[in-house]
Amino acid sequence: MGPLEGLVYGFSVALTPTNLFACFIGVLVGTIVGILPGIGPVGAMALLLPSTFALQPATALIMLAGIYYGAMYGGSTTSILVNVPGEAGSVVTAIDGYQMTKKGRAGAALAVAAVGSFVAGSLGVVGIVLASSWLADQALRFGPPEYFAMAVAGLLLLSRLSGGSVMHAFVMVAIGLALGTVGMDSISAVRRFTFGSTQLSQGVELVPVIMGLYGVAEVMLIAEAGIKKAHIATVRLRELLPTRTEWKQSGWPIARGSAVGFLTGLIPGPTTVLATFISYTLERKISRTPERFGQGAIEGVAGPEAANNGATAGAMVPLLSLGIPFSPATAILLGALIITGIQPGPLLISQRPEVFWGVVASMYVGNFILLILNLPLVGLFVSVLRMPQHVLATLVLLLCLLGAYSLNNSQLDLWVLVVFGIFGYGLRKLAIDPSPLIVALVLGPLMEKTLRQALFMERGNVLALAGRPLTATLLLLGAVVLFTPPLVRLLRRQRAAGTPLSTTAP
Amino acid sequence: MIERLLALAVLAASGVYLANGLPLPLGSPARPGPGFYPMSVGAFGAVVALAWVVSVFRRTPATAGGLTVPGAGRGRVGKTAGLLVAYCLLLGWTGYPIAAFGFTGLLLRGLGAGWAAALVIGLATSLGSYYVFAVLLGVPLPRGVF
Repeated sequence: MGPLEGLVYGFSVALTPTNLFACFIGVLVGTIVGILPGIGPVGAMALLLPSTFALQPATALIMLAGIYYGAMYGGSTTSILVNVPGEAGSVVTAIDGYQMTKKGRAGAALAVAAVGSFVAGSLGVVGIVLASSWLADQALRFGPPEYFAMAVAGLLLLSRLSGGSVMHAFVMVAIGLALGTVGMDSISAVRRFTFGSTQLSQGVELVPVIMGLYGVAEVMLIAEAGIKKAHIATVRLRELLPTRTEWKQSGWPIARGSAVGFLTGLIPGPTTVLATFISYTLERKISRTPERFGQGAIEGVAGPEAANNGATAGAMVPLLSLGIPFSPATAILLGALIITGIQPGPLLISQRPEVFWGVVASMYVGNFILLILNLPLVGLFVSVLRMPQHVLATLVLLLCLLGAYSLNNSQLDLWVLVVFGIFGYGLRKLAIDPSPLIVALVLGPLMEKTLRQALFMERGNVLALAGRPLTATLLLLGAVVLFTPPLVRLLRRQRAAGTPLSTTAP
Repeated sequence: MIERLLALAVLAASGVYLANGLPLPLGSPARPGPGFYPMSVGAFGAVVALAWVVSVFRRTPATAGGLTVPGAGRGRVGKTAGLLVAYCLLLGWTGYPIAAFGFTGLLLRGLGAGWAAALVIGLATSLGSYYVFAVLLGVPLPRGVF
């Protein structure tokens, strides 16, 4: 099936009433969690994951993916109107978006953000189709050593890019990898680290870990900060139309943001955040009037808003073509695939075309629904913010508790949720990003399986593994990303220390 | 202080992990056993945890930064964590509706709601969620010993 034929088939899957409804629910929930500071797209996806167990795989994935990219739309609304980003990918939007609100141009900012997101989402679909098909074809030649090297390189990149210190990221990776070894060994059926618990033989559930680290930890932060009341600007429908000059100023930033976002989305890490910062910096740098940035420049809204949606599309490429997630959100999508009995990887396109093409086409449909939903209903969505924060926080926690329990009807999952919630709160206070833990927990079993297969293939010769061209390239890439910044720092320090000597020398 | 405790806890956990992984068969390089990968992960974990502990203890308290929670905020965080633990402990004994009512009511009150609002919202949420999850979705929520 060629890309065009596949996309047409994908639309026939995405436009069935069930999948259309799932897409609608997904983007609606995504918009709401994007608006509400607290739970975020990852927590919401984890919360809704158990409710997708009974659904068809394509339907489940369409709904969960809808939450992921829908949250980017919702996040921009509160960034622009209230100066409160609902999720991290919309932090940059608040800089100029809120300034536009203060100048009475909130409607224009919202319209440009929505159109920019739609354009980036739509272009992203084209990018997914082209990149995934090509990558999946290449990946058919990959063996266990290549998969192992890809996972290692991904974790190294994530550790470098996740913000904060590499040492903290490595600690998170180690915890995630260790948690991934709990349960029955898939090759020898030996129980490991189960402490006699039959439930632990199945391993540590991903969902309560994510809900704890993101949902519970966030609510504890809200509890700590105390209840705040947001001042919400109102926007009338007729104010939503940008002027001709504003449209003109937004066109190229949207195009550049879409490209920057998609390419950033391909790499591991907090790509939606990275993409928005890169796009904002780029727009300010190439602008003839950089002094307008920070004062309500529409390019500062258009570029980053396109970039964060482009990044969500880019992040789908390694997941759909290789079966490797590089972010917590795509890790949940991978979890949903596995739970519904689908083996993710390069064969997904040929063996389960309805899932691959259905999800890709649904992203276009979902972006269109979001465009229709977000502009006329902006007032309604923002009114969600009027819900008292303590009621919202309590509801989120109760839903987390119910969601964790309903996975296996087990109290062990509740304890996992609470322990990781308290742990996650501590991490947030110390500004340590937990995403390497989540990705390592998901990649851990794959890494173990491929490492053991690779060693078996090469008869225990570790050096032979590194001798394979792609494996060596990936490991080298990981090492370069890891060691380049400290080496550059060291060289700069040496140069700085050497400068006075050279100037004082006769 | 909190970072020091967390770093020490992670180091201790890596020690426990390694100790529990020791009895697992390592196998040979050509045929790695079920203990091969966990021991590699454990060794990596112990090294990075040790590096964390060393770096945290080398910093002076002034440069260590870390956890600063204002008094009132500390109380609210403590109440939230305490109620979560209490919910887990009591769920099997009291059953879901009572545990959820107690949890939501007390949490709302702890976060600043009035008693009347906390009780009404707590009751509505616990009964509403029980109806949706247990009756409509068929989740076997604990009924308690009563």
